[in-house]
Parts: sequence; structure tokens; C-alpha cells
Amino acid sequence: MSSGQHLRVSDAEREAAADQLAEHFAAGLLGQAEFDDRVGRAMSARTRADLSGLFAGLPGTGAPAVPELPRGGGSTPGGGPGSPIEFRLDAASGVPTYLQLVHQVEHALRLGYLKPGDQLPKVRDVVASLAINPNTVLKAYKELEVKGLAAGRPGQGTFIQATLSQVTLPELAGLHKSLLGWLTTADAAGLDEDGMVALFTSALRDFYKRRGDTGDRRGGASGETEGVA
Amino acid sequence: MSTNVIEASGLSKRYGSTWALRECTLAIAAGHVAALVGPNGAGKTTLLNLAVGMLAPTAGTIEVLGGRPAGSPAALDGIAFVAQDTPLYKNLPAADMLHLTRNLNRRFDQDYAEARLGELGIPLNRKTGRLSGGQQAQFALTLALARRPRLLVLDEPVAMLDPVARHDFMALVMTAMAADGVSVVLSSHVLAELERVADYLILLSRGRVQVAGEVEDLLASHRVLTGPAAEADRYAERLRVVHARRGEAQAHLLVRACAGDPVPPGWEAHPVGLEELALAYLRESGAAALPGPARSRNAEPSEVTR
Repeated sequence: MSSGQHLRVSDAEREAAADQLAEHFAAGLLGQAEFDDRVGRAMSARTRADLSGLFAGLPGTGAPAVPELPRGGGSTPGGGPGSPIEFRLDAASGVPTYLQLVHQVEHALRLGYLKPGDQLPKVRDVVASLAINPNTVLKAYKELEVKGLAAGRPGQGTFIQATLSQVTLPELAGLHKSLLGWLTTADAAGLDEDGMVALFTSALRDFYKRRGDTGDRRGGASGETEGVA
Repeated sequence: MSTNVIEASGLSKRYGSTWALRECTLAIAAGHVAALVGPNGAGKTTLLNLAVGMLAPTAGTIEVLGGRPAGSPAALDGIAFVAQDTPLYKNLPAADMLHLTRNLNRRFDQDYAEARLGELGIPLNRKTGRLSGGQQAQFALTLALARRPRLLVLDEPVAMLDPVARHDFMALVMTAMAADGVSVVLSSHVLAELERVADYLILLSRGRVQVAGEVEDLLASHRVLTGPAAEADRYAERLRVVHARRGEAQAHLLVRACAGDPVPPGWEAHPVGLEELALAYLRESGAAALPGPARSRNAEPSEVTR
């Protein structure tokens, strides 16, 4: 593997790659659809490796000849240095953007991607990579602070300070297995996937309603139902 | 507390015998991304041009940045405006366009502009008209931001851009907001795009303000009720219905109601998104949702019609 394949690429490098693809297209080495596809991938490429992959099957060096660009500090997109996670958005989910960020942090905590002491992506970096309102990110981080999961350190950023009550891995595996058993029964009874989701969601809702456990739990559940529907 | 970046009172503008804007009263607090939405000819561009002082009102007043009359030197110093269709001199090389802008402005942060243009990879020797659509938009935005404004006004900034360019453009706007506390007012037809960025919504219809408020408050005070169509009329009399869609058996009513309000038996309540809310009001130009207090001539809470 040649050096620097994991390095992030700049817009200039993406442009250069697109220009080079255009030359191949002009030379008849790429069809229209293939060209459109590869340029699309070039524009969303994150690493050198992504870019060099675009020239598979084409003559040339295999990677666009671009000078090494010194990277300005602080302009790394997404999680940036210091944060183990990066956010994504699902516009079609119907879940408010700030809640999506909150859910993703909680999810990362449950799965162990985030641990106490880890830094959350800086507001500026989230805003630059997702093109969302900074107030939305602040609101999500505030929500995490209210839940006691994160804490802001002045001048530094927001850091994880608690873990979510973790179920141990063997326990999780057991639960997964018993759920599979239920799914098999439901399938045998003739329920399709949507039917199972609807039944599970409604049972979940009943369960928490009976326990009188309202508040944020319900907010999360209703958001997820939206996504399913 | 925070100042208002735009404050209009009874603001009206007439072209000949046509009112482009009528008795527009609104206040947008600093620190927001305010989206101006409305059909073509609703008065969006007129309102923005009045705010930046390119037009003078026929009646009423408009002030910006905490009480500075729009168009006054004090107001212009704090505002940057990017008009529709990326206003650049298309025959000038980018470097000359940059030079020109620096010399035409009292305040211009050359270092900022050069650093940004470097990051964007815009070739300075190329004529601006030969840059890609995305690059032209980014270039115009960079020139505007280099004035170091406190308020950035954008008229249909992303209408002509492809999805990637649109994303990059909005990312630059949002970064300026996060890094320098710039407030933003923009007009747009791209409702889906606004969902991610706007936290204040102004809906204009036929020259009048139809809806104005913080997005969070608007979403919290509206919801969709789904239930049997046969009962829809009965509830429509009691509920404040903005927009109704009904089939043979089932009806969806977008109503003004808070999360705690009771749901009629047999009906389901769903939260509403910004796009759905804006569409409902755009289809029902008679309905209005304006902040209750401190609105001129509107002592009653705003009337909602169907």
C-alpha cells in the first residue's frame, strides 16, 4: 500500500481527480453513466484511497498527480481530531436533527464507540461537515448534558462523562436469541416484516405506558416509529 | 439581551399600483438562521432589498442590527448581501474581482478572503464567469463574508446549485455562523434544505406576512391529526385547522395545537415537520400564525381560517 492512502483529500484534489476523469471521458475510455458515477464518487471521496480507486481500469498513474497540500489546522471535516465518532443525518427519518445527534451519541455509548473522557466532535466541525445550524448542535449537546452523559469544558469542547447502563455482551446475545425465537413464531403465524415491526412497536409502547415511564423514553420511541412508518 | 437583526413595522412597498409588500411587521432576533419562504411574487426579494437599503419603503419603517435605519452607513457596515443569481462581474478574472471588492468596501478582511479562496481551490486567474456554478456561489459568498458582517442576507442562494455545491455553500454559511456569530436571513424555495438550517421561519404570501416565528415553537404548536373522514367536519369546527386533506374514509388535519392537548378518541396525532408545515400554509393563503403579543393592530391572537 503506497504511503498516504489514508490521508484525507482536499477539494482541490477532488477537482483534480474529476478533471482527470473528464480527460478519460473525452478520450472515450469512460461511458457517460460510468463517468457520472465516478465523478460523483470523486466529489464525495474522503481519502486518497477513495480517489485512486476511481481510476481502476484506466491507463495512467492510478492516482491523480496533485501536490501535497499542507492541511490548515481545524478544517478537518466531520469528527475531526480528538473525537472517535462522526455524525450522519437521515433526512427521511422524520426525527428532528438535534435528536438524531443525541441518539447517535447514545448509540455509540451503548456499543462502546464512546467512553467517558472522549471528546464529542467540535460544533464547528459538525456544522462544516453536515451543513446544519450550529444552534442545532448546541441543543443536542445541551440535551446530552441534561441527561448527564456529557459535560462542556470551557474553551475545549464537550466531553463524555458517563456511560449508559450497559447490558453485558452475553446478556445481549441471549436477548437477541430469544427475540429470534419470537420472530420465527411470528413468521410461522404469517406475519410479514412490517407486521412484526408494528406489533413490536405497539407492545413496546404498551409496556412503557403500563410502567408509567413517560418523558424522554417516549420521545425516542415515537421518533423511531416515525422512521419505520 | 439579544438585539433584533431586522425589525419592520407596517412596512409597505408599492410599485406603481401594485403592492409588493403590505404592512409587514416582524422582528428577527440575532443568532438565528431566518428563512423567508413564499410563492413567486410574494415579496421576498422586495423585503430583502428593503432590509439591505437597496429599496426605500413606500410606508412604514425597517431597522436592522438593533435600531439602525436600513440603508444608513451604520447599517451597511454590519450587513453583507448576496443577491439572486450570484452577482459577479463575469468578465473579470477572480483576482481582479477580489481587488475591486476590497477597494469598494470600507471594511474588507483580505487575509480571510485569500485563505478561504485557497481552501476552496478557486483559480484566481480564471474569469469569474468561467468558474463552475458552485465556485461562483462560493466566491460571491466569500467576498460577502470578508466584509465581516454581523448580518448576512442571501436571496435564493442555492436555487441554481447541484446537491454537492449546495451542501458546501450552506456549510460555509453555517461555519461563519458558528465561528463568528453571524446572523443569517435567507430566502429559498428549497424547503427540504431549510429543514436542516433554518431555526426561524417567515412565510410571505401576496405581500403579507402569513407565518413568523421560531421553528421550534411553530412545530411544537402544530400537529397532524389522522382519523375517520366522516368526523373531520365535526372537529374542523372546534379545532383550529390550517389545512385538511381527506380521502373517502380517512382525513389528515394539520391543526394548531400543543403536545399536551387532548386527541379526539379514534384519532392519531403526529408531530409535523418544517416542510409539511410550510406547504400547508402555502396552500392555505388565508391561514396565519403570527406571534401573539406586540403585533400592531392584532390585539386578538391571530385568526386561523380554513
